[in-house]
Order: sequence, then structure tokens, then C-alpha cells
Amino acid sequence: MAANFWTSSHFEQLLDPEEVDVVHQLDKDKGLTLEEFKLIKMHMTNCILKLAQSVKVRQRVVATAVTYMRRVYTRKSMSEYDPRLIAPTCLYLASKAEESTVQARLLVFYIKKLNSDEKYRYEIKEILEMEMKILEALNYYLVVFHPYRTLAQLLQDAGINDMSMTQLSWGLVNDTYKMDLILTHPPYLIALACMYIASVHREKDITTWFEELRVDMNVVKNISMEILDFYENYKISDERINAAFSKLDFNP
Amino acid sequence: MDPSKKVADRYLKREILGEGTYGVVYKAIDTKTGQTVAIKKIRLGKQKEGVNFTALREIKLLKELKDPNIIALIDAFPHKGNLHLVFEFMETDLEAVIRDRNIFLSPADIKSYIQMTLKGLAFCHKKWVLHRDMKPNNLLIGSNGQLKLADFGLARIFGSPDRKFTHQVFARWYRAPELLFGTKQYAAGVDVWAAACIFAELLLRRPFLQGTSDIDQLGKIFAAFGTPTPSQWPDMVYLPDYVEYQYVPAPALRSLFPMASDDALDLLSKMFTYDPKARITVQQALEHRYFSSAPLPTDPAKLPRPTPKSRPSDFNPQEGPTVLSPPRKSRRVMPDRDRFEGNSNQVEKIDDHVGEARPAVGDHAGKSDQVPMSVDFSIFGSKPLSRPTINSADRSHLKRKLDLEFQHND
Repeated sequence: MAANFWTSSHFEQLLDPEEVDVVHQLDKDKGLTLEEFKLIKMHMTNCILKLAQSVKVRQRVVATAVTYMRRVYTRKSMSEYDPRLIAPTCLYLASKAEESTVQARLLVFYIKKLNSDEKYRYEIKEILEMEMKILEALNYYLVVFHPYRTLAQLLQDAGINDMSMTQLSWGLVNDTYKMDLILTHPPYLIALACMYIASVHREKDITTWFEELRVDMNVVKNISMEILDFYENYKISDERINAAFSKLDFNP
Repeated sequence: MDPSKKVADRYLKREILGEGTYGVVYKAIDTKTGQTVAIKKIRLGKQKEGVNFTALREIKLLKELKDPNIIALIDAFPHKGNLHLVFEFMETDLEAVIRDRNIFLSPADIKSYIQMTLKGLAFCHKKWVLHRDMKPNNLLIGSNGQLKLADFGLARIFGSPDRKFTHQVFARWYRAPELLFGTKQYAAGVDVWAAACIFAELLLRRPFLQGTSDIDQLGKIFAAFGTPTPSQWPDMVYLPDYVEYQYVPAPALRSLFPMASDDALDLLSKMFTYDPKARITVQQALEHRYFSSAPLPTDPAKLPRPTPKSRPSDFNPQEGPTVLSPPRKSRRVMPDRDRFEGNSNQVEKIDDHVGEARPAVGDHAGKSDQVPMSVDFSIFGSKPLSRPTINSADRSHLKRKLDLEFQHND
């Protein structure tokens, strides 16, 4: 989308990391830690991806869905807004908002196909009801910008046309959705950070190109560090996820 | 139900204004601000598809478009399972002004109305939003005379190169020739053409080009401006639904608009340019000398308006042109098409969405010249899911390297 990011609601709504890394009081009361909170969001990002693969929607839709989900949890608790319902509903809403509607019954069909765990198996009715609540939680702001388009332009501008660089930076951008970066940084900076990591990894020296850009390279570097920190701590296991969910599912 | 019941603890419900494209519209008082508002109750789709797609489009765009010449979406809330959209209340619309025989529109009044129309449109285009449904009854007029663009149910964000759109937008009388020839890669020019039709309608006090079918619409356009020559519009012959029309010379524009000033005619002719690439942009139109020369546009508050009736303004009974055109794949030339006329806007809007749900399948097949945008490594990659792109060993190595570089910046 080429709409103007700087005058968009997305830009206005960018948050500080400290605002994003807050476990809702209700969840805290159940013993959910910040680590577990992040872990569940990461796990649900994967769930959205899996579901999206089944129903075959564009990457844009996935990215928007994940952004919606992450925005919801800056305002709402996981105790009240079950991630296992929020995730598919965000995909449903994003598919509409990105003009590639997926039918709710198709979504439910695949949810059931992909998940044997009863706790994931929600019905159409529940998704449609949750859609309305998500809209409210998002304060009806639906336009989201993503790094993909910018990345393609930047790669071209930097004169990079070998597939391995493109693929690596593209994959890195995909991985950033497992973090909350899209809530805290403008998409073009995320794109630059991914390009930067890719260039260092592939030992492609584009330092001059970076220096000619009118961007604060320290910011880009910091984002790159955040991404690399994420890879370091990237440990997702069923046990940890189940442990986190069992805390949420516990009703005294 | 008690008619003055408070909705969502905030709105005092008043009379029903009528039936909109996707639900009932009623008048209400916002107890928080004292403002009169129009509330659209969005009916939930019958096919169990949640919040109406058209309504969602409108919400999405209006949340981004805040401008004095664009209808303000004040609030949205769910109530009894239905989504409600709260708009500022508008007294009337431009169609009512144009049709009201008791109203005299001076050249300065016309200038004011078309200027506000173009200002609203310029804001949309600046935000890369195409309205795609410009017509007088979508231009609402508030109590202070301000004209505002409304009904963004057909609007789309544009700007991606080669993005394919449906050509089935706009009420026929306001459709640009490239749309009538079936183009799917149109841009802001389609709104400019429609605005030109509205401009002409303000001057004539009747719809300017009243085609009875798409073919006839083109005939009416060519009769007014002459059949376009390839030199005037080089891309025309390549359009999907292009058919050759018998050559008609252009009558003098002056003969069609005997009362218009030279400046008005000059602007009009630039807005009615055949080649969308050569057509004036909204911003350029606003900078045209027509708007700076005498008489200056009337102050909106002093514009003539119809005496307020109970006529609702936020929706339109289906009079005027219908929007139906043949399904997107069929050719323009189709006998008997007009018997579908009764079907009205709504059908078209649904059509539009169905057509676009999966643009990638049919339309792009075999034409994958645009590499990176549609390539999706995560989705189509072999092991896309939980596997991170970089592993831990890479990471520490990279981190060290990253730290080294750019240290001179610190």
C-alpha cells in the first residue's frame, strides 16, 4: 500500500516498547509472566501463519492479522480475550480489511483440521462475536503499514538483486512479526534493519548506501540488535506454551 | 421501543431517516456533545459473514480521512449484536440542491460547491484513496453549508503499481471513458472525470451525460466531446473492452454550456480530458485560475440550500442512475443488458468485492513481472513456520560484527 504512512493512524499509534511489554493485571493475577506473555503472542503468530497457509491468503493479510492481535493485547487481557480465539478472528478481520476475504466457515474448517486440542476449536458464531469486540479493542483503526513494500524498494535502490539477499531480508521481516516491532517502529526502519542484518550475514558491504540514507543508523542498529536478541531467546516449546496457557485457563 | 432510548449510554435516538445501503439510518442526539448525529446500524450479513464488508471498508478509510470536506465518522459501537456507525448529521445533499427548482445557483455558488468537492477529493487522493463513487447524492451538505464527501463503501486505497481493480464502480453517468472501456488499472483520474460530470451538472442543473447503457454512455460522451483519436488518447485501443465508435466531431464546448465563463470552460475541458494520463489532477484543478478569478467562491454558510425537509441525507433512495454493468468478464456489447437495471447499486458492490477477493489467481497468471511484492518466502518456503531465519550461532557472530560497524557513529 502506498498510502501516506506519516499521516496515518498507524504512525500516530506507534508505542514505546515499555508500553507494549506490559502484562495486563488480570493476567498477572493468574501468575502470567512477561516472558510467557511474549511466548503466547509468538505462538499465536505461528498459529495465524499456519491457518493462513491453509486458507491461502497473501503475506500482507498475515502481517495485518498479527499486528491486530498484538495491538489487542496492548489493551486487553488474555484472560478475557482468549488468544486461541483472538488469533483466528484477527486473521478473519484482516482478510476483510485487506480485501481478500476468507469465509468464516472455511476458517473454522481449517481450525478444526489443524487443532486437535478442544481449547482451540472455536465455532463461527464465536469468531463473529469476537470480530466485533476486536474492532472495538482496535478502536476501529484498521489500516496497517508493513515493511514488505518498502523493503522491495530499498533493495532495488541499493542495487541488490541477488535472490539470496532478497530472501534473507524478506524472511527476517517475516520473523519480526514474532516480536512486537511493528507496534513500536515505523515499517521502513524495520525493513532497513532486516536489510542491514542480511547484508552483514551475506557479507555484502552496503555501508556506503546506508550512510547516504538520511536515517539515524543508530536506530537501525538498535532495531537490528533487538531482532538478533530475539533469535537468541527464540525458544518455543510445547511445554512452555502449555504451562503459560494452563495459568490462563485456571479459574479460581 | 422507546424512541428516545439512550443507545450505548450516549445517544438519544430520534426518528428513522431511512434505509441505507447496508442498514437503517436514524437521527440521534449525542448527549456527550449535544451534537445531532446520524447513526447507521449495520445489518449483519445473512451469510454469517460478520461485519458487512462494505461497512468495514468505509470504517477503515474514514478513520484515516479527517478533513473538513469529508464526512466525519464520530464513533462506532456494537449494540445488540449490530455494529453502529455514528456520523455527523448532514442536512441535505448536492443532488437535492441541483434538483430544487426554487434555488438559483450563481456562478460564485457553483464555484463554491465544486471547490469543496475538489478539496475533499484532493485530500482523499493525497492519502492515496480513490473514492470511486462520486455523484451528487454522495456529496452531503451540513447545516453550515459545508459540502462533504460521503459513502466510502466503494473507495479503495490505490498506488500499488499494476494493482488491478474492478471497473464496475461509479454510477454510470459519472463513469470515466477508461472505465467504460473496461480498464482495470485506473487511477485518480476516474474521480476527476466524475467531479467534472458534477461540475457540468451544477452548470446545467441536470445530469450531463445520461447514458442508458454503458455503450450509450460512451456514445453520449463522444457526442459531447467528439470521438477520441488515437493521438488524443494513445492507450485507448488497448483497453479490454475497446470497440470502435463511428467518428463524431466535437461540438464547441461553449455550445453545451452557454452560461459558463471562459475559465469554467477551460477547467471543465481539462477535467474532461480523454487520456487519463493527460487529465488534470485534483490538485491542479484547485490551482486553476477559475478559483482565483472573479467571482470568488461563495462563503459556504451563505450558499443557497433547499428548505430542510425530513428528507434523509445520509442515504439515497435509488433514483437516478443505476450502476449495473455486465459481469466483469463479459464484453460490453451485450443486448438485453438493460433489463437488469432494477438491480441497483448493492448488487454491484457485492460483485465488486467478489471479483477482487482473489486477484492473484486469474488476473496475474502468467504475468509475474513484479517480483518481490508477491513472492512470499514464508508461506511458500519449504520449512516456513517455527524455524527462525537465523540460528543462534549466526546470531552471536552477527551481533559482534554489528557492534563493530558504525561504532564511529556513537
